[in-house]
Amino acid sequence: MTSGLILVAVVAAGYIAARIAVGALARRYLIVSGAEYLVLGVLLGPRVAGLISASVLDSFGPLITLAIGWMGAVIGSEFHLKRMLRLRGELYQVAFLEAILVVGIVGGALFLLFTRVLGVLPADAVAPATILGAIAVTTSSSGIALAARRLARDRTARTPLLHQLQVAGGMDAAVGILTFGTVLCLVHLPPPGDIRPPTPTEWAVIGGAIGVLGGIVYHLFLGGERDPDRLFISLAGAITLASGTAAYARLSPLVPTMLIGAILANTARNRHEIVQVLHRVQRPLYLVLLIFAGAAWRVPGGAWGLPLVAFVLLRLFAKPAAARVATRLSGMSRVIGGNWGIALVGQGSLAIAIALNYRIFDDSDLSNVVFTAALVSVLATDLLSARVVRAVVRRHHRRRLPLAAAGAGAGPPER
Amino acid sequence: MRRAVILLVVFALVELLRPLGSAGYGSQALLTFGFLILAAYTVGEIAAALRGPAIVGYMVAGVVFGPAALATVSPEALTRLAPVSGLAVALIAFLAGAELRWEELRDRGIALLKVMSAELLLGFVALAGTLYAGRGFVPFMRGLPAPQAIAVAVLVASIAIVHSPAVTMALLTETRARGPVARTTLGVVLLTDVVVVLLFSGTLSLARTLAPGAEGSGVSIGTLSWEILGALLVGVILGGAIAVYLRFVNEELLLFAVLVAFLGSEVARLAHVEAVLTLVTTGFVAENLSHRSRGEALRHAMERSAAPVFVVFFALSGATIDVAAVVTLLPILVPLALVRGAAIWAGTRAGARWARLPREVSGNLWLGLVSQAGVAIGLASVVAEAFPTFGAELRTLLLALIALNQLVGPILFRRALVRSGEAPARPGLPSAVPAPSPPG
Repeated sequence: MTSGLILVAVVAAGYIAARIAVGALARRYLIVSGAEYLVLGVLLGPRVAGLISASVLDSFGPLITLAIGWMGAVIGSEFHLKRMLRLRGELYQVAFLEAILVVGIVGGALFLLFTRVLGVLPADAVAPATILGAIAVTTSSSGIALAARRLARDRTARTPLLHQLQVAGGMDAAVGILTFGTVLCLVHLPPPGDIRPPTPTEWAVIGGAIGVLGGIVYHLFLGGERDPDRLFISLAGAITLASGTAAYARLSPLVPTMLIGAILANTARNRHEIVQVLHRVQRPLYLVLLIFAGAAWRVPGGAWGLPLVAFVLLRLFAKPAAARVATRLSGMSRVIGGNWGIALVGQGSLAIAIALNYRIFDDSDLSNVVFTAALVSVLATDLLSARVVRAVVRRHHRRRLPLAAAGAGAGPPER
Repeated sequence: MRRAVILLVVFALVELLRPLGSAGYGSQALLTFGFLILAAYTVGEIAAALRGPAIVGYMVAGVVFGPAALATVSPEALTRLAPVSGLAVALIAFLAGAELRWEELRDRGIALLKVMSAELLLGFVALAGTLYAGRGFVPFMRGLPAPQAIAVAVLVASIAIVHSPAVTMALLTETRARGPVARTTLGVVLLTDVVVVLLFSGTLSLARTLAPGAEGSGVSIGTLSWEILGALLVGVILGGAIAVYLRFVNEELLLFAVLVAFLGSEVARLAHVEAVLTLVTTGFVAENLSHRSRGEALRHAMERSAAPVFVVFFALSGATIDVAAVVTLLPILVPLALVRGAAIWAGTRAGARWARLPREVSGNLWLGLVSQAGVAIGLASVVAEAFPTFGAELRTLLLALIALNQLVGPILFRRALVRSGEAPARPGLPSAVPAPSPPG
């Protein structure tokens, strides 16, 4: 079977499966669509049906890299400063603390597990452990968005907690991407040829420069363009070039494209149109990314079960614990309560993008363990993430009602 | 101008990063692809500002940044990006088919056939005759015995008469022209595409008989029939399936559009049928079987997904132009191109008179038929493989001729559309002849 026909077949099958089987369920029972594409990819991949071979995966490498880069741009475009400034600063403080604590807890614990229990050399364990921390921090933004849309039907959506969850989702994504990007700079292989290998700091500067310069340059390039077709061409060129440049330099495309998305969202006059174009193209690319991520999976060798279970359990513990600690340290317990971290346990496409990106650069057993852990975590948590968010917000709302009636509630989060 | 300066900055940054990278996992192809989109788009905008067709700008960008000049796009990257060209051709063919309405074909089919047959016949005879008569001036034909010279002449003529559905559709999409000149040109180009497959297969068989040392065997009638009839059959089935999808689902049209193009070209390849004809039929059946608003929605989605693909397709076409070969062969190319142009002009005038087409159509039609692109390049490669002794030189000559027509053709077609009032003289202005509402 040819690679082109395979792509058509898998995407068509995936789309129809999602639309018929999961689509109706998702609308009725608030289920987040996405994990089923991963399963489809695993089933079609070399490990099961063999329809998507390793060579097909390789031939679609550029498309996968582009899908990862496009995701970064979409995430970056959400960081619209003007809109962010409408919310009180404590929400960002809590979200940042929660994210950092999760990276520290999960990354640190897994580093100890790798070195002390599994006998991996510390130098080899730093990268996979930290990247698992970066993956652990990411939250299913589609779960939060879906729940928010559903909650908007009643007045529950106006609780400060939902704002906190939305802020935490964005902050988690940014911290996850930046942590991952930094690790890739630290373990960067020297470039071919006789030139002096750049230091990790220099690699980080190069990665940031691709994003910042790219953002500025594309801002000037796009100008006030509002025609959707022309905007699409320019954006496709900009994100493809930035993703390709980053991948060519063996850096993560997520960092530069996130910066480009953020710069364009904050500086462009045609912000609304840019965001629309980014979202319109994201869905097909997201679908392809998930299917090929599933196909790229292989059974890890050695004692892989332990870190896998440890990662899932550690994350389930770290998210609520970190959220509780962060809330208490910021003095926000009365506003948002202490149990909202449970709403962040859902993991989505960003976790897959980071793990797959890592696998592209490092094909070792440890990177495969990282990839498998991300896959398992997404499969276990993404499906019901919106339901969990809704349940947490509703419970918080019910608890707040008596307080609000007594006039003891904190002020609204919006300034 | 601002965008050109920015492009230079981007070019400098990309070049600065080159020593630091490695081309694993298709990253270089992605880098090239992104740069090519921006470069072609920018040069296309400059071309449009100069009142030329944007696609000429895309091709010029391909020449400038391709292996022949600055080499930002390497030959390896060109190979890796070949599927993009395949996708572009498929999208173009589908869009071209979707432009045709059954009522229009029924009413004007005979007229289109008359124009096409007059133009093809005159073009073929004139080109084959000129090449045979002037064989002393063509390096690789100089020492050839008469039968072999005839073989080369008819082969060149059968490829040189091919038009370009890609350029025609790209220009129609760019200018949004839908008047009589635009629609007649599209009809003739698509009909020629079908006939040329038959004609080329016939001349190839003849050439194989005349020229000893040819590889492969002649094409059988059965194979040829399947290539054409099979394409129609596969196209009807695919088009019907699309109409069903539009009737019952009608969602995610952007994704669906790309899938249709991929699926159509892959199925055609596997079934050994003519790919362009398959997609043209698919587009035609899907558009004519669907409710008008749904068919239009799909066409619009396809146009949107085709926009960046057009940019890259024509830029890649430009990047494959061997500038040195074109310059070397200019003394032969210019007369050949002039004879071809004159034959198209005379043929369309005669055909238009025979079909009693209005003056504005008969006077402008030939300008839309000068372009050449994808199909002709493919046929030239077939010739090179079939005749190892002189095939490579013949291919170079044909590619140089195609390159010349590729660059000049869109300029002429745009001029025809502007002159007939179907396209605005400057982008953004309204055209004098509005697009007619589709019948039915």
